[in-house]
Amino acid sequence: MKHETIETNAAWLIVLVFIVISIGGLAEIVPLYFIDDTVEDVKVDGIETVRPYSPLEVRGRDIYMREGCYLCHSQMIRPFRDEALRYGHYSLAAESKFDHPFQWGSKRTGPDLARVGKKYSNQWHVEHLTAPRSVVKESIMPNYPWLLKTDLEYKDIAERMKALKMVGVPYSETKAEYEANVKRFGKDVAKFLDVNQAENNLMAQALANNYDGNKSNITEMDALVAYLQVLGTMVDFSKFEDGYFSTFR
Amino acid sequence: MSTDSNSKVQGSKGSKQAVQTTGHAWDGDIQEFNNPLPTWWVWAFYATIVFAVIYWVLYPAWPIGRDYTKGVMNDIEYTDASGKTVTRHWNTRSLLDKEMVQAKAEQKKYLDQLAAASIEEIAKDDEKSNFAYSMAKVLFADNCAACHQPGGAGVVGSYPNLADDDWLWGGSFKDIKTTITNGRNGYMPSFKAALSSEKIDDVAEYVLSLSKHKTDAAKTARGKAIFNGQEGGCYYCHTKAGTGMVSMGSANLTDSIWTLADVPSADTLEAKKAAVKQVIMNGVNRKMPVWKERLTDTQIKILAFYVHQLGGGK
Amino acid sequence: MSATSQVSPQSYNYDIVKMFTIMALVWGILGMFTGVYIASELTWPILNFDTPEITFGRLRPVHTTLVIFGFGGSALFATSYYVVQRTCQTRLWGELLPSYTFWGWQIAVASAAVSYMLGYTQAREYAEMVWPIDILIAVTWVAYLVIYVMTLRKRSQPHIYVANWFFIAFILATAILHIFNNMAMPVGLFSLSSYSLHAGVQDAMTQWWYGHNAVGFFLTAAFLGMMYYFVPKQAGRPVYSYRLSIIHFWALIFLYMWVGAHHLHWTALPDWTSTLAATFSILLLLPSWGGMINGIMTLSGAWERLRSDPVVRFLIVALAFYGMSTFEGPLMSLKSVNALSHYTDWTIGHVHSGALGWVAMVTFGSFYHLIPRLWETEFYSKRLINVHFYLAVVGIILYISALWVAGIGQGLMWRAFDSYGNLAYTFIETVEFLHLPYFMRTLGGAFFVTGIIVMGYNTYMTIRKSRLEKAEFEAKIAAKMASAQ
Ligand code: HEC
Ligand code: HEC
Ligand code: HEC
Ligand code: HEM
Ligand code: HEM
Ligand SMILES: [Ca+2]
Ligand SMILES: [Ca+2]
Ligand SMILES: [Cu+2]
Repeated sequence: MKHETIETNAAWLIVLVFIVISIGGLAEIVPLYFIDDTVEDVKVDGIETVRPYSPLEVRGRDIYMREGCYLCHSQMIRPFRDEALRYGHYSLAAESKFDHPFQWGSKRTGPDLARVGKKYSNQWHVEHLTAPRSVVKESIMPNYPWLLKTDLEYKDIAERMKALKMVGVPYSETKAEYEANVKRFGKDVAKFLDVNQAENNLMAQALANNYDGNKSNITEMDALVAYLQVLGTMVDFSKFEDGYFSTFR
Repeated sequence: MSTDSNSKVQGSKGSKQAVQTTGHAWDGDIQEFNNPLPTWWVWAFYATIVFAVIYWVLYPAWPIGRDYTKGVMNDIEYTDASGKTVTRHWNTRSLLDKEMVQAKAEQKKYLDQLAAASIEEIAKDDEKSNFAYSMAKVLFADNCAACHQPGGAGVVGSYPNLADDDWLWGGSFKDIKTTITNGRNGYMPSFKAALSSEKIDDVAEYVLSLSKHKTDAAKTARGKAIFNGQEGGCYYCHTKAGTGMVSMGSANLTDSIWTLADVPSADTLEAKKAAVKQVIMNGVNRKMPVWKERLTDTQIKILAFYVHQLGGGK
Repeated sequence: MSATSQVSPQSYNYDIVKMFTIMALVWGILGMFTGVYIASELTWPILNFDTPEITFGRLRPVHTTLVIFGFGGSALFATSYYVVQRTCQTRLWGELLPSYTFWGWQIAVASAAVSYMLGYTQAREYAEMVWPIDILIAVTWVAYLVIYVMTLRKRSQPHIYVANWFFIAFILATAILHIFNNMAMPVGLFSLSSYSLHAGVQDAMTQWWYGHNAVGFFLTAAFLGMMYYFVPKQAGRPVYSYRLSIIHFWALIFLYMWVGAHHLHWTALPDWTSTLAATFSILLLLPSWGGMINGIMTLSGAWERLRSDPVVRFLIVALAFYGMSTFEGPLMSLKSVNALSHYTDWTIGHVHSGALGWVAMVTFGSFYHLIPRLWETEFYSKRLINVHFYLAVVGIILYISALWVAGIGQGLMWRAFDSYGNLAYTFIETVEFLHLPYFMRTLGGAFFVTGIIVMGYNTYMTIRKSRLEKAEFEAKIAAKMASAQ
């Protein structure tokens, strides 16, 4: 075909451009859903240890996104020795499989947070988020004093979990779904994946752990710290042989 | 793909009038020469294609069905910790596996020495202690300094000073190692509800007297009774002498070193007392994180050595 | 075939071009000022002022959105509407629909910026807009496509000029990318929150397929369209090689769509995807340079104009930076280089050598050509155009050299081991190290923003001059008429 045909005919031009630009994405995105090795199998005694977020953690994650933490912090440890020493085991694809959207980030103005869970105490997080320079003198992270002062909005938590369920997160609404979760994640986890109990579960977790150091209220700080404290803690790597996760690549 | 052919190749230096173009013109005067593709450009483009094809052969590259090409002639081979030879097609994770094995082998000499050595031996031996410092410096800064501050100075009221010779949980090498390995929970109940504000005032007066502050005798006596009696029950944890118990991390109240109540920086007795009362009223519940899940035994040992050397190791 | 103007300028729809041109400058000034502000926050964190709306994390998407979609997008609407009319020798299709695209786009940009400050975001880089804004953008974009295609169809030129190929590819690709990347489930009909359809590794791939092509089509292909009109026009010379333009056009648009995963090297994305991205990025180098060659060789007959014509100077510098950043890009796409550059300020430096050096400079050059023609007058001050040029160049050089130092330094420090094989630097030491480069970057940004403010002033005075001239002219005519009676 002469190029003349294409450039004298708008319809041809458009159709050909459309075809040419469609190929790359199709060839790279679609297989990620079909190749089994893409997301690792992480089971201990038949129980999946990577679980969906609890209601409180979901709200914490929402706040993490709202404040744009992902613009300074990555959540993706790469398989390098320096990162292994500084941050811990490299991140698995499985560890973000319930992340809608993913929060891997593209810039490390601050340290990677993929495994920050349990690294610090709740109290430290509260102090740090309220005024980072009060604990890390050279920090350039903004202060977030309002997190402690703002009550957490959680009336729509069930709606949020339902929306997440629609895009594939296994929260349960029916008895059958609950039972399936018991099999998949164990009873303790299945309980807080129950959408019908969302609000109660959220309040219970906030009260039991008192993330923000004040039991009389549930603040945005409670939610955000709950989220930070679970990051990277779902896979116990001591339960897997060295090199096991390399077999997925 | 063929191009309009009524044109002739044109040097870029050709002047405007003499030029032959493709013959089209847009917006009055926009025309096109039809110079051939620069040769260097064409060859460079071919070179990138060759590069890409070679790359695809050597590395994991093309998805096919439920699998993908793994690459040939590019296997990663190493001997793992158990002496087994591992061979894998090239992939980023095995690359790390191999590097970690190698790095461990390179450090093995030091790590073995350190594992066997006692703290005194490490401290005495330059080679060992230099290695330990080199490792501990960044470990401490990336993991501990956020709370205990660079140099271990701590934050009064929140995070204990690791550079002085006062230890809640014991300052021996072994104690420090246990603290880091398992974490600690410093707990003291709140006495806001149990004691009236006068009584708290009295107890605080007594607490200050333990560290040789000049206090009111009557109040101190009343405070002592509360401290050592059933009402306050402070002696359960702090002992009757007020020296604290390492087994439960309760503070020594007699040594003029304060970790929670900021007594030294208060000027007047009233202010000092206020600081102490604050602790008694609110109680304490602070956590030192558990590190055994995050750091290896050797790393913890080296950190314990480092902390021990910071100032006041016993 | 060589048609001369059969259509008089009066019959072109210039109003829409003027509106978009002005808004491009407005968003440019606001967006780049925001850039300087967030750069200052990284230098002096106190500037976050404990105020949610202006903390770094909320303001950064305001910056990227205002410069890419506000400034870049409006500039592309303006120039594409101008170019398609002039190269098709026909009036823009539709009357209301073009105005709709103007208002739709401006409202989308403004409400996106405000919504980020208020904390409404989808947390996907460059696609942070919440779902109702996404829908507004999608509808506006389809209207843009319709207008563009309909205008092409009623052209009075048999051949579609190469600039329009690029614009069409840009419009189509952006539509596909926008729609597929923003698929999300709203929490409720009256909630601005939503959760993305994909998760984890597939979501990452989709996002960077989008993200890279926001760069590839929005910030590159479309601006090449701009270049293909304004460079030959300003140089007064034919495009260097028609054949090259065909080859590099098709190669470029094909290859671009494969390389998104170079934003995800060494992550939990499978290695095969990463390989494809790396190799296609290398393949992309020469097709990208095809555009640069065509541009520079077209200007090469007009070297003497470099001294006298500031517009040519903007265009040549833009092409040079285009060549530079499309060389740097493939370099950074190699896994071993990316291992160092990823997560560091090297990436940010690369972004801005493309964004300031190429996108902004080619826009400035084109606008300096365009504005006098839209308002039918000479530019108010040629000297100020020169001032703008030097401010911009100094700004860019400060910006990207500071960030090379920052990025490469930071990357090397993170991975440095001492002679014992232990990590040599703590994280916070790298933060301290960045302070000086961050300051230099802020300074560079301040230069650059001053430049565009000068341009804004110059443009304002030009438009005012045009009004005065017109009024004078009309007064003269009226006087003549009066005296004739
Ligand atoms: C302007 C960039 C910036 C933003 C935005 C930012 N941070 Fe940080 N963050 C940093 C820097 C720099 C550090 C390292 C110094 C420090 O510890 O403060 C850090 C450290 C941290 C740490 C400690 C990590 C560790 O392992 O020591 C946590 C946790 C954290 N940030 C959470 C957050 C959260 C949550 C948000 C959003 C609400 C946030 N950050 C927003 C820059 C930022
Ligand atoms: C989240 C904050 C935090 C981090 C991080 C932290 N610590 Fe602590 N650390 C504490 C607190 C709080 C205590 C006091 C516990 C108590 O009151 O009983 C403590 C106590 C200690 C003690 C005992 C002090 C004494 O007087 O007996 C040692 C030793 C210690 N930390 C070492 C470390 C080391 C080494 C690290 C890093 C691997 C580290 N800490 C990280 C908060 C932290
Ligand atoms: C259940 C045990 C317990 C009881 C009962 C208790 N304490 Fe304590 N106290 C502690 C512990 C443990 C700490 C150290 C906490 C830490 O460092 O995290 C402490 C710390 C203190 C401190 C702060 C010392 C400093 O260095 O800043 C004061 C003052 C104090 N106690 C006074 C009292 C008084 C007065 C009472 C009784 C009214 C009392 N305590 C009862 C366990 C107890
Ligand atoms: C005055 C000029 C500018 C200054 C001072 C400036 C400053 C900044 C700063 C400080 C950041 C954040 C970097 C970080 O997170 O570390 C940023 C990001 C960004 N800016 Fe600019 N900017 C300017 C102009 C522009 C222009 C004109 C464009 C586009 C046309 C642009 C596009 C971007 C993009 C795409 C990012 C995100 C980069 C990434 O995520 O990797 N900027 N800018
Ligand atoms: C052949 C051309 C190009 C290639 C192959 C390329 C490649 C890359 C690579 C490898 C990265 C770093 C990704 C990472 O490590 O996170 C990157 C980032 C980026 N590039 Fe380019 N680049 C090219 C041209 C350009 C041009 C012309 C621009 C114009 C503005 C540009 C804008 C960006 C932006 C905005 C980012 C940052 C994305 C982000 O992390 O938010 N690139 N590019
Ligand atoms: Ca609370
Ligand atoms: Ca969006
Ligand atoms: Cu890219």
